Amino acid sequence: MPEWYSHPFFLLLPTAFFTLAIFSFLYKDNPMFKLAEHVFAGLSAGYYFGLIWQSVIRQQVWMPLTQDGQWSVLIPGVLGLLMFARFFPRIGWTTRLPLAFVIGSTAGIMFIQQLHGMVLPQVGRTLLPLDSLRNILIIVGVLTTLIYFYFSKPHTGTLGWIASVGIGFIMVAFGAHFGYTVMARVSLLIGRVQFLLVDWLGVAR
Amino acid sequence: MKSRLPVLVAFISGALMILAFFGRGTVVDAVSDRALTWQTIVGGFSLLLGAVSIARVHWKKVATKHEDRLYSLCLLICFIVMGGSGVINGIGSGTLFDTLFQRIQAPMMSTMFSVLAFFIASAAYRAFRARSVSSAILLVAAVLVMLGRIPMGQYIYHGLPSWADWIMTVPSMAVQRGILIGAALGAASMSLRIILGIERTYLGRG
Amino acid sequence: MHGTAAMDVSGKSFWERLQSVDRRILYTLIFASVIIPILWPLHLPTPVTPESRAFFNAVDSLPSGSVVLFPFDFWPSTLPETEPMAVAGLRHCFRKNLRVVGLSNVGMGGPSIADRLLDSIGSEFHKTYGVDYVNLGYKANYSAVLLGMGSKIADIYPADHRGTRLDSIPLMRQVPNYDSVKFVLIVSDNAMTDYWVALVNARYGLPMVAGVTAIMAPKMLSYIQSHQLLGLLGGMKGAAEYEQLIDHSDKASRGMDAQSLIHFLIIAFIILGNFGFFMLRREQSQKGQN
Repeated sequence: MPEWYSHPFFLLLPTAFFTLAIFSFLYKDNPMFKLAEHVFAGLSAGYYFGLIWQSVIRQQVWMPLTQDGQWSVLIPGVLGLLMFARFFPRIGWTTRLPLAFVIGSTAGIMFIQQLHGMVLPQVGRTLLPLDSLRNILIIVGVLTTLIYFYFSKPHTGTLGWIASVGIGFIMVAFGAHFGYTVMARVSLLIGRVQFLLVDWLGVAR
Repeated sequence: MKSRLPVLVAFISGALMILAFFGRGTVVDAVSDRALTWQTIVGGFSLLLGAVSIARVHWKKVATKHEDRLYSLCLLICFIVMGGSGVINGIGSGTLFDTLFQRIQAPMMSTMFSVLAFFIASAAYRAFRARSVSSAILLVAAVLVMLGRIPMGQYIYHGLPSWADWIMTVPSMAVQRGILIGAALGAASMSLRIILGIERTYLGRG
Repeated sequence: MHGTAAMDVSGKSFWERLQSVDRRILYTLIFASVIIPILWPLHLPTPVTPESRAFFNAVDSLPSGSVVLFPFDFWPSTLPETEPMAVAGLRHCFRKNLRVVGLSNVGMGGPSIADRLLDSIGSEFHKTYGVDYVNLGYKANYSAVLLGMGSKIADIYPADHRGTRLDSIPLMRQVPNYDSVKFVLIVSDNAMTDYWVALVNARYGLPMVAGVTAIMAPKMLSYIQSHQLLGLLGGMKGAAEYEQLIDHSDKASRGMDAQSLIHFLIIAFIILGNFGFFMLRREQSQKGQN
């Protein structure tokens, strides 16, 4: 292999090309961006196909069936295949069976998870002693937020006053969240510019 | 039959998961363990369905000579190369599948999301206005957090990082918890509606 | 938007022009504020938050040889934020001689990213695959995966990401379920942390810490206060703090100067936008009075 070819500039050229093709959207929509968009969608669908083939069909169905003689894996295997029944109108309704199985059992897990793992510990940790301004603010913040969001009764009178305290808290939280969202999006941009300047062009360290 | 059977399946599988929580080490627990494994298998097929559906849509575009057929063809080639190499050569390190992912797909996805930095900055300039007391509170909190969370913030005023810490751990945390508790109660009630067959929209029409 | 320049000469006031400045000017300023600090960095130290210090302390206090479950629950879209956290986490674990069981509940790229990072950081510390670390890969339906592993990991993962059967991997022979796991170090950019907390911490009592994207961080502070999470890294800043704590500066630390400058720029945008808005409103009300 010629020496120039192993230089990061050439090795990373395809990555840089598609990075710049996507950034070109900032100027305006163009064929390069559209090409990048379709390459991305194709690779993503292909990724799922390869991944599920290897990690589910091969590892979870084929291997247990052929190596361990676990015939019971045919049940989820057939249920999984029924997902594709939607492509055949006559048996299309059978696609509901695997859906019902997955959604029903996930709902069962969620029911316990939300109450046991979320509501109980979170409510428990809100029952703080009223011995500091911090604790009082946390309790008031949690209660007024719940009241603002979850009481559909018109927010007038005492409820209106409580809800307006809730709005104050919510605005502070949303402001903080905005700050963090800016931080997140900017980080992603920094990462890509680092790639272009440091990894690809090598003009910075 | 077409809707009763799926509702019955949802009820049995949902109730099994709830009972297993209370009956650790019992037969119900053992049955639910098997059901959990099956769930991961069936869930995998649903992802496969998604991938195949995308390919179908674009195949139709190519077959019907849609004006974007060249882009669709490009998508299909990428799908076949990526998916085919994953099936034939595997998905581990050093395979074509892995190289295409690491070199092309992952950077593209990062770049797509990084573009949002421009949009959020533009929105900050054009739409983030202190039109009322509420929006002024939001704006001040945002600025304090943004300044308090960068290395340069402490050089502007040494107390800024601790102000940002306070905003995050007291009022913001309290609101997040309120939302969390409310959302969890909502999700629990929705789960119960699905298990009891009251909520059936996931079955679709017909 | 494209016709802004033409409209400028058609009698618009300064404040009106300021309100409708071409987006591409804003975009150029943003690009510049990211590029300049990367080319000429200042290397300012990042103040460490109590949550990041708690994260470091929790990992640091684990006895040598402990098994750490390491979910790479993030999409490639957030790699600039999450990868530095995962890299620093792996360096910390391997330096402490902890054994790492990697996995991912994000189908799109999660297992491949886990493979790359585990191999590259593993080789940095001369660790052996299958003995010191392993990558279980991906299985669909995260809630079932998380619960199923509590009974028997091999039921959910008959083989690792590379297709090797679990019973022929030395490390996994010693880790049949959560009973053999000492700790969970989550790196995530989505609701997976909630599931780890509400399913695994609540049901099996496994202690855990999380490195999450900045967008997720405000919500996670609830779990810190409720002690469901022992420590938290928030976004690139959290990763930079962790790099500082493990004394290995890397990509996140290098990105923090750009983060500083662009935050200033966005704050300047907010101030300028509001100032222009109020001046325009005053101008319009004065015109109305005349």
